[in-house]
Amino acid sequence: MFDQRIYLDNCVTTQPAPEVLAAMQPFLTEEFWYPASFVSTGERINAVLDEFRSIMAKTINAQAAEIHFTSGGTLANNIAIKGLISANGSPGSHIICSVVDYPDLLTNAAYFENRGFEVTYLAADGEAYVSPDELRKAIRPDTILFMATAANHVVGTIQPLAEYGKILADADHKIYFHVDAGQAYAKMKLDVIELGIDTMAVSGHKIHAPQGVGFLFVNKGTKVGQVIHGVRRIDNLQTGGISVALIAGLARATEMIFSDLDRQIDHLYNLSQYLLYRLESSIDHIELNGARERRRAGHNINVSIDYIEGEAIAMMLDLEGITVATGSACASQGLQPNYILMAIGKNHVQSHGSIKFTLSRYTTREQIDRVVEKLVAITRELRSRSPLYQALLSKER
Amino acid sequence: MQYSQKVLDHFRHPRNVGKMDNPDAYATEGSPACGDQVTVYIKVNKETQTIDDISFLSYGCASNIATASIITDLAKGKTLEEAKNITWRDAMEALDGLPPVKVHCSALAADTLQSAISNYEIAHGLKEVPDFTKQTIIDELKKIIYPKVGEDIVTLKMVKYVGFTNGEVMIDLNIPSFDHWCDNVADEIREHLQKYPDVKDIQINFP
Repeated sequence: MFDQRIYLDNCVTTQPAPEVLAAMQPFLTEEFWYPASFVSTGERINAVLDEFRSIMAKTINAQAAEIHFTSGGTLANNIAIKGLISANGSPGSHIICSVVDYPDLLTNAAYFENRGFEVTYLAADGEAYVSPDELRKAIRPDTILFMATAANHVVGTIQPLAEYGKILADADHKIYFHVDAGQAYAKMKLDVIELGIDTMAVSGHKIHAPQGVGFLFVNKGTKVGQVIHGVRRIDNLQTGGISVALIAGLARATEMIFSDLDRQIDHLYNLSQYLLYRLESSIDHIELNGARERRRAGHNINVSIDYIEGEAIAMMLDLEGITVATGSACASQGLQPNYILMAIGKNHVQSHGSIKFTLSRYTTREQIDRVVEKLVAITRELRSRSPLYQALLSKER
Repeated sequence: MQYSQKVLDHFRHPRNVGKMDNPDAYATEGSPACGDQVTVYIKVNKETQTIDDISFLSYGCASNIATASIITDLAKGKTLEEAKNITWRDAMEALDGLPPVKVHCSALAADTLQSAISNYEIAHGLKEVPDFTKQTIIDELKKIIYPKVGEDIVTLKMVKYVGFTNGEVMIDLNIPSFDHWCDNVADEIREHLQKYPDVKDIQINFP
């Protein structure tokens, strides 16, 4: 059933690359050990972990010692945010984030708000872009932390990290800068020195590594309080066990993509632009959500198709062997429209009719052609059933 | 959460779908803002008072389309009196069940059918436009589904008090305000009551 499936929900998870699975294999079989001192088995793992840390560090212009492996992006975000705040703030301190941040950041902000911290949620414009001016205006003498989502998880909008970093550096006191790079890492260049980032969370399974692994960058000298207490095995921030095999997979996936990052970026950009062109030229009453061209992450296209509902569209595509996502309330567990689309001024109908396509290195032009062909037919069919579209036709007549 | 094979079948191959030319009556319920809207058209045989033809249009999710499809199937060929007894429970049963969060779709489909019948009766002098009373509010509340369990809020005894004076509707609900579904239920109630010209203001209170 899933052999020929076209999977365009790569912002949620991606297919592990065959090279990645091969790189994991030794650590699931003959080299199954954990780090230790003065014994060859443990020292061997120490050595490979050091190597993996250097591989990750190079991709963001960091030092190996600044890389902390975690069991995923959400854990990395939690360790950084809770750790930064516990080490550098106290109830009453001020935190800044934005209304279009990833849930990892927003749920943490709400957690601290409930515990007496003050939070400013920066507004976004109609394209989900959070202007540096908004940040500049929100800074207060008691601000301790600013959190940003490098590329929006719903509409792909890229935020101006460099400008944020400069504003924070120019502030008259230290404000920590935490970045969630879940949708940005390996989709664009991220230089933590140039951008002035203190902590940054990355998820492995968004970049063809397996699920259950990620890493956290912590700038040398940045104080991050202990959040996970326990025995130290792999890392001092996420104590306890982390799978060495999964870390090996993450390192291999990273090498694979960063060996020709520019080409990978162009591949995604060209394909997504082609998808958008095909959609806009084959379906009327369709609207792009988020920014155009290079101002959005190359793997993301999010559109609203007027007069029909997203869950029905996604299910019909699913029956054709195509996986996409929708921002429709009907497809959500809470029957609520997508909060990002609502925050950027879209109405309920636009959110209900939104479809998100997220591409990967394995997506082909032929797949895009097939998706557009099926979507055109599905749109026609659902509109023939829609009272809203029929009313429009009557008006046009 | 998964749909039954029957829901999928009615979603993929809806019966009686499409706009009807010259219907004897029709009704539209729901709103695009709430994510679902259904129109039901009927043609009635004047002598036998049977629904000879019926069709629907649906803006909504798969279960919205499927429930509208099944409701037209259930009503087709029935007398008006028989069709008036068709409820959202019948629609649900005929579809082999719905996930709890989707039960409100069957309520909307049944509601639209009943409104179309009512509109027919009013247009053909079979009944007067009913007065808006407290009972109207209670009847509307019986169509509001609590999405967590897929049952209506009256049956679940979630309605503590209903008041109606000078165009003001006052409803006390027995759902804690921290309940995840609070806003959803309140929105649904407003949507159901706002269409009545007699209603000027709606107040919904949670403990």
